[in-house]
Amino acid sequence: MQISSKDLIYLITLITFIFLIAPLFLIIYISLYNQKKAKHAEEKAALKKTFELELLKSQIEVQENILQMIASNLHDNIGQLLSLTSMTLSSIQMDSKREEKIKTAGELTLRAIQELRQLSKRMNGQELIKKNLAHAITYELDWLRRGTEYEINFRDNTTHSIPENADIELILFRLFQETISNIIKHAEATVIDITLDQVPGLLTLRVKDNGKGFVLADKLKTSEGMGLSNLSKRAAMMNGTFNVTSSEEVGTEILVSIPYI
Amino acid sequence: MFYMLLVCLTELGGLFLRSIAVSNSMLYTGFLIIECSMISTFFYYTFYKYYPKSKWIYAWFALFLIAYIAELVDNHFSIFSYRTTTFMSVAFVIASLYYYLLITRDEKFRKLGSDPQFWVINGILFFYFGSTACNVFFDYLIHEVSPISQSIRYITFNILNILLYSCWSYAFICRYRQRI
Repeated sequence: MQISSKDLIYLITLITFIFLIAPLFLIIYISLYNQKKAKHAEEKAALKKTFELELLKSQIEVQENILQMIASNLHDNIGQLLSLTSMTLSSIQMDSKREEKIKTAGELTLRAIQELRQLSKRMNGQELIKKNLAHAITYELDWLRRGTEYEINFRDNTTHSIPENADIELILFRLFQETISNIIKHAEATVIDITLDQVPGLLTLRVKDNGKGFVLADKLKTSEGMGLSNLSKRAAMMNGTFNVTSSEEVGTEILVSIPYI
Repeated sequence: MFYMLLVCLTELGGLFLRSIAVSNSMLYTGFLIIECSMISTFFYYTFYKYYPKSKWIYAWFALFLIAYIAELVDNHFSIFSYRTTTFMSVAFVIASLYYYLLITRDEKFRKLGSDPQFWVINGILFFYFGSTACNVFFDYLIHEVSPISQSIRYITFNILNILLYSCWSYAFICRYRQRI
């Protein structure tokens, strides 16, 4: 059968049309597949982040439990032993020669008991946070004032405490302790300003020092930057934000805001 | 850009030869080498990050030249090398499809909407896949002198050229945006 010229032209047009439609669908398919891949990558990243946060949460829980255990052991065992020592020392019939030495030993033991109680209280975060975060911070700063010569200013602008948020208050308190520890270790500061603000739905902790400061981008490249990254992760764990502002020879300001409902 | 200049010069030359009633088939046959070199080089650089070897491009050039010269000799240098064009089109379509395969396999996500390489290859696929029917029936279309057969080839290639150069223009815009 002979195909007419018109039929052939029609056939060529049809084939060309199909051959144009096919790449179009292929490109659409590739684009959709690619979008799916992007979504998958996003989900994977989110899962990784969640996993990391969960891991961090577990680490903090374990750390908290260990600290609590050490604190109660210090308080219950060593504390009791020291109390017994103190009582024993006070019951000794003293003669004039030994009186002075035994009295000094008794005083030292009493100081040791006092220090031990305070240390045990600091370590036992849950116990410390029982009243509220501001109380825990004040306690921590009192401890700091006794051992160092920093000028410490603390402004507590909180209005009320929410007992249900004790867990996140504890994480924020540990974050505060680490920040203070970093200032002592690295900042070479003389003044530390701490502000705790509360607005509806948000709790903000601001720690500012007048130390040597640093270049944030440089710091993040070094191992010291890991500490900042860790603090940031902890803030993220509480669905909060973590901001660091630092200038060399001016000081550093750390701002942590967490949802507080 | 230089390639685009050569394309324009070839088209102008083709129009001029047609206006003085001289066959322009040899001009387009000659341009085929430039076209093949340009697109093959583009594919070479596209695939380079996946296969950093240059053996395959030399093999492809050798294969193309054999087909090209064999057809020229067979045609006694008189008509357009449409069989080599079809062969080249098929090779470029396969290369384009292979590129898509590499994209889907690649674990790294890339924004295809603004990826210059992707749009250049889209243009190539549209042009060479879409022109397959015209290339296959070239022999018929060239001998059929009826106005309808002439116009169908003309319209098809106009549409294909618009698609090709639209995709390439967009690819250039994407590349420009990447640089600024």
